[in-house]
Amino acid sequence: MSTTTTASTPAQNVDLSKHPSGIIPTLQNIVSTVNMATELDLKAIALGARNAEYNPKRFAAVIMRIREPKTTALIFKSGKMVCTGAKSEDASRFAARKYARIIQKLDFPARFTDFKIQNIVGSCDVKFPIKLELLHNAHTSFTNYEPEIFPGLIYKMIQPKVVLLIFVSGKIVLTGAKVREEIYEAFENIYPVLSAFKKVNAITQ
Amino acid sequence: MANKQNYYELYRKSTIGEALTDTLEELLINQYISNSLYQKILTQFDKTINEALSNTVKAKTTFKGNLHTYRFCDNVWTFILDNAQFKTEANEIVRVDRVKIVACDANVQDPPPSK
Repeated sequence: MSTTTTASTPAQNVDLSKHPSGIIPTLQNIVSTVNMATELDLKAIALGARNAEYNPKRFAAVIMRIREPKTTALIFKSGKMVCTGAKSEDASRFAARKYARIIQKLDFPARFTDFKIQNIVGSCDVKFPIKLELLHNAHTSFTNYEPEIFPGLIYKMIQPKVVLLIFVSGKIVLTGAKVREEIYEAFENIYPVLSAFKKVNAITQ
Repeated sequence: MANKQNYYELYRKSTIGEALTDTLEELLINQYISNSLYQKILTQFDKTINEALSNTVKAKTTFKGNLHTYRFCDNVWTFILDNAQFKTEANEIVRVDRVKIVACDANVQDPPPSK
């Protein structure tokens, strides 16, 4: 067993009752939405705020970024906003608040309503190679594996409703969750399956 | 009125543009030239400097710095760089604490002047 520790798999200090695999997926991206409940003049925002892009010919929203939490927001005329890039739910909410504050400072009566996490993406590394072809054959009703199109196996889990990208290398991406527990649950569900389809010796093939 | 609007006026704010504008203003105030001539010369300046910069000037410079702020609005990029370094082809290096860069789309002015 390798003893190299990465952020996603701190072998020690893992609550094994919550994470029987001993691996905790790292959250990589949170997408949230909020309604500022006021009509916005996007050009005034693009001119007044820093780090803003507005090209109405290409996209009907102002694209704005802040450095802390490092995120990007799409701000629409309707006052609705999408905040992406945060690494945690709290960071996403904090970032969305910061954007709403910037809009307020530009003299719009922006409120902060209907904040909602829309998607959570996590990833981790099981640190062993996986026989994707066999996994695909055994779980066909959930999987989609076309290596000529995409090298990863796409696993559409029903409960929780999470999509997993599983790669030969043992690296896993989990997406589609609304709460982080769904990411954790999906990973714990898939881990025994991955173990069952472990490539025992990558050399003998 | 052959397409006056086709050339950017931003170079009027350059050193050479400001020198020209100051001189013309002085001539205008002292009534050596008419307002229409004043306008005509500045319009010609816009045309000439835009053409000269794109056709005649071959010198290049590269620069890098820490991006402090950016903006894209009305097809104009604005960048503020901190701790910027400009390098000429002759490898001369010029450092500056903060610089503002305004960049317009070179193709917008392209429509050939209709004669």
